[in-house]
Amino acid sequence: MKGAILKIENSIEKTIIEFLKKGLDKKLFDALLIPVKVPAGDSYAWVLVQDKALLEDANPLPPVMSVQGAKALSSITRRGKSNKKIAAIMRPCEIRASIELSKLQQIDLENICLVSIDCPGALPLKDYLEDTKKGIDTFKKVIKEWGNESVRPICQMCDKSVGLSIQSDLHIGILGAKNNEIYLIPSSQKGKSILEEIGIPAEESTDNWEKKTKEFVETRKKNRKKAQSTLSEKVMGLDNLLETFSNCINCHNCQSVCPICYCRQCYFESEKMKLSSDDYLIRAESKGILRFLPDTLLFHIGRMTHMSLSCVGCGACEDACPMSIKVAQIFSMVGDKSQKVFNYTPGKSIEEQLPLKVYEEDEFHEVEKP
Amino acid sequence: MKDDFEPTIIGFLCRWCSYAGADLAGTSRLQYPPSMLPIRVMCSSRVDPVFIITAFLRGADAVLVAGCHPGDCHYIEGNYYTRRRFACLRKIFETLGMESDRIRLSWISASEGPRFAQVVTDYTDKIKKLGPNPAKKEIFL
Repeated sequence: MKGAILKIENSIEKTIIEFLKKGLDKKLFDALLIPVKVPAGDSYAWVLVQDKALLEDANPLPPVMSVQGAKALSSITRRGKSNKKIAAIMRPCEIRASIELSKLQQIDLENICLVSIDCPGALPLKDYLEDTKKGIDTFKKVIKEWGNESVRPICQMCDKSVGLSIQSDLHIGILGAKNNEIYLIPSSQKGKSILEEIGIPAEESTDNWEKKTKEFVETRKKNRKKAQSTLSEKVMGLDNLLETFSNCINCHNCQSVCPICYCRQCYFESEKMKLSSDDYLIRAESKGILRFLPDTLLFHIGRMTHMSLSCVGCGACEDACPMSIKVAQIFSMVGDKSQKVFNYTPGKSIEEQLPLKVYEEDEFHEVEKP
Repeated sequence: MKDDFEPTIIGFLCRWCSYAGADLAGTSRLQYPPSMLPIRVMCSSRVDPVFIITAFLRGADAVLVAGCHPGDCHYIEGNYYTRRRFACLRKIFETLGMESDRIRLSWISASEGPRFAQVVTDYTDKIKKLGPNPAKKEIFL
């Protein structure tokens, strides 16, 4: 794989911003979709920006993931393609969610240039907001150390945050670059021509980055396996499941921040879930007791059946859970298993069809009972 | 004790094949346990996995989804999708440590009255051995 090399000036973030500014200058894209510090200074918001002067507070790799990028991109293009060229700078999980959403017809990727960046993880939103100054310092350490345990548990077990598996147009490699350099690796024709237009064609070897990212992915894969086997012991079985989700206050935050949950009307918020008092009374009578609000476990397992095949494990749900339930870890574990049934990896490729949209006549005979 | 246990099986039967198969079993006066509560759906692929989970968590001892044999779907390809969804649901059941034997997918055509009776008999026997659904007793569900 060949890439271009950029010398770091000031900081990684500033170098990337300077590069993006060049792209705006040369009209390679008309606008950027990028996280920018909010005026209060304590968090980040997605901003669609054309004015270079407003890029001062932009950060291509913010310490937290406040809104999932794919959700931002979807709100721009779900009614059809963008008429101007937009470069979206996102974390790999946001790229993967965007690809899933484009398959679900919620994002139109025409005229969108997806720019991904090696991601060491994001800090838990709660930790960061408690003390933003400390958060920023911690995140500096995170970028330096690659493997720091202050990032979210779901990030610690993420094995798709770096390297060649990311299907963006242009990837920014910050892991394993030598001598204050970063790599720009094109993975599509769009990305290639952007580098050529800017005058830094992808001709340099990226072997060092490839080697380092491969090692990193291996460690993460091990982490994932270990974390999931511990987790699985804790949640397996109806009793354990009930215990895990017993704190759930039915706020549906996890669903409303999930990039994959795009339905305008969620089944679990529809009239179908509003039942008559008789229904509850009958249930209470047969058990002798009934918890309210009811059907929380149904909501979670039901949501798994609806979205786990496309779950990219971004962790937005866990960040949004007011009761600190390990939603993301559980959902991505279930996702891994169900995706494996179809040999499907969400966000891996735009050509790969969603498993429930296709079929073969001769398959899965093991689930049919004579 | 277990001999007294009469399971409740919720059956989602497709309108074109399996429901007609059930009808045929009835009109042919075939004997089978009265354990199954049939719900007629237009196609087995109409069954959202959430329906199955709802039945299961509300204490149904088992859920049967039945449709036309692959290749015979009234809507040409509905049951192929059913099978994929069902494979996914089974995996989720297994991953969460829930009893995947309590959900079943079978193909029963309109002419297979005896087969319908056989499926219900066999499945009822199996669930009898398995015992009542533990979800029935869970309070904080």
